Amino acid sequence: MSFGVAAILWEAVAWWLDNKLFLVRLGAIGERFVELIQSGELIADMRVSFIEFAGGFGLAIVVGIGAGVIMAASRRVRDLFDPWVSMLYATPTIALGPLFMLAFGIGYTSKIALVFLTCVFPILINTLAGLKTTDRTLLEVVRSYGATPRQIYFKVRIPSALPFIIAGLRVSVARALVGVVVAELFGARAGLGFLIFRSAQSFDTAGLFVAVFILAICGVACVEFLKWIEIRLAPWRFNNMDEE
Amino acid sequence: MSAPKLRTRDLCKSFEKDGASIEVLRGLNIDIARGEFVSIVGASGCGKTTFLRLINGLIRASSGSAWIDGREVTAPGGDIAFVFQQDGLLPWRTVLDNAIIGPELQGKNMGEARDLASSYLALVGLRGFEKHYPHELSGGMRQRVNMARALTAGADVLLMDEPFAALDAQTREIMQTELTRIWSETGKTVLFVTHQIDEAVFLSDRVLVFTVRPGRLKEEVAVNLPRPRELALKRRPEFGAYVDRIWKLIEEEVRDSIRRETEEALAAARR
Repeated sequence: MSFGVAAILWEAVAWWLDNKLFLVRLGAIGERFVELIQSGELIADMRVSFIEFAGGFGLAIVVGIGAGVIMAASRRVRDLFDPWVSMLYATPTIALGPLFMLAFGIGYTSKIALVFLTCVFPILINTLAGLKTTDRTLLEVVRSYGATPRQIYFKVRIPSALPFIIAGLRVSVARALVGVVVAELFGARAGLGFLIFRSAQSFDTAGLFVAVFILAICGVACVEFLKWIEIRLAPWRFNNMDEE
Repeated sequence: MSAPKLRTRDLCKSFEKDGASIEVLRGLNIDIARGEFVSIVGASGCGKTTFLRLINGLIRASSGSAWIDGREVTAPGGDIAFVFQQDGLLPWRTVLDNAIIGPELQGKNMGEARDLASSYLALVGLRGFEKHYPHELSGGMRQRVNMARALTAGADVLLMDEPFAALDAQTREIMQTELTRIWSETGKTVLFVTHQIDEAVFLSDRVLVFTVRPGRLKEEVAVNLPRPRELALKRRPEFGAYVDRIWKLIEEEVRDSIRRETEEALAAARR
């Protein structure tokens, strides 16, 4: 509904402005989309960007959750790394992009490294927070039934941290997509970010919007998917909202 | 009299707080017979909950010991199950999976545990709710799961720490009759902590009245009311007499502790 209104508004403004550099008609974007598909360019760009996204985000999931679990388990490790994590989380690590290009070249490695760095910290921090904020009553209950520390970890702490971890992934997905685009702007041979760059260079506004729309759709789809998982995993956390 | 199911001797507990030692329990000697239902009442801060936690092995005594069937209690689990005031159900587990947590943690046969849990869930009136999640249940139903979980753990002794305190008054009354029924059907030994004197009298064979800090046994009142007990019993004069008697014992305690607290506050203000 609101998308429909937005589309009509878009068309109206595009018609009124009549400036193909700033805002093009939706129809033109559609045509450009078909052209790019037929030439095979778009598929190639999407493939590259997907590999960069999946590589960096996947690595961030593994490392972020792993490091979070270790930091939650050991006070010493936590004391050692906590200041670094807080500092790097607050730093716009994406600014390190050019440095990564110099270090790793303009292939996949530099992109994956940059995506990883932009999205690992929210995952790590949420994992750690989730593991540290386990309900005390639950801990006491399982302890009273004779749970070993190991059982407490796997049967209470980790399941109760899962919704937090998923929330961390949701934040990270958006950051990962930004990471992909920005990394490609710094220098690339293909990718959706590079398509944006190319299109802008050749005043191809329609091509630019094709890339932007694809990224937006992917972002929304990922976030909605994670939200769905979160509701499936922890329905009790959403119960109160339904009643309102 | 045969050997007691549960015995404590000289059980003492002190906590360190701000460098000062606070004595919570002093020299508790209590014997509870197999299959007996005993309640503990006392003013706030009399160490009732601490007493249960000591018997369960969740915390260690400063001195003295507790025994179940002549075996000293050193760690939680096994012969004793704790029913907490908050139900403490794992929200990501179904009712059935919550009920089997005891055998699961002990590494017992899960098939048998499931059968046992199902039968206890039926006993507490939750047949057909095995696959529900805790957030789908009312407070009273969650406490029933809490009880079924304790029963499924296979313990002979149930320690219950104000399990009905968070329930509304009507649900609480129903749960009291349910608990007496479950207790008589399973023959468990129950040690029940409560603030509510009428609850203690209604449920118990014996009521232990604790003094305020440090907690000691002030008096024990044997409740000689016939069983099975119905809620109508609460309106009978002999029931009222028991409640009155225990309330008088506690009233003194409450007044004492308020007076002492006031004096301490005044003394602190003068300094």
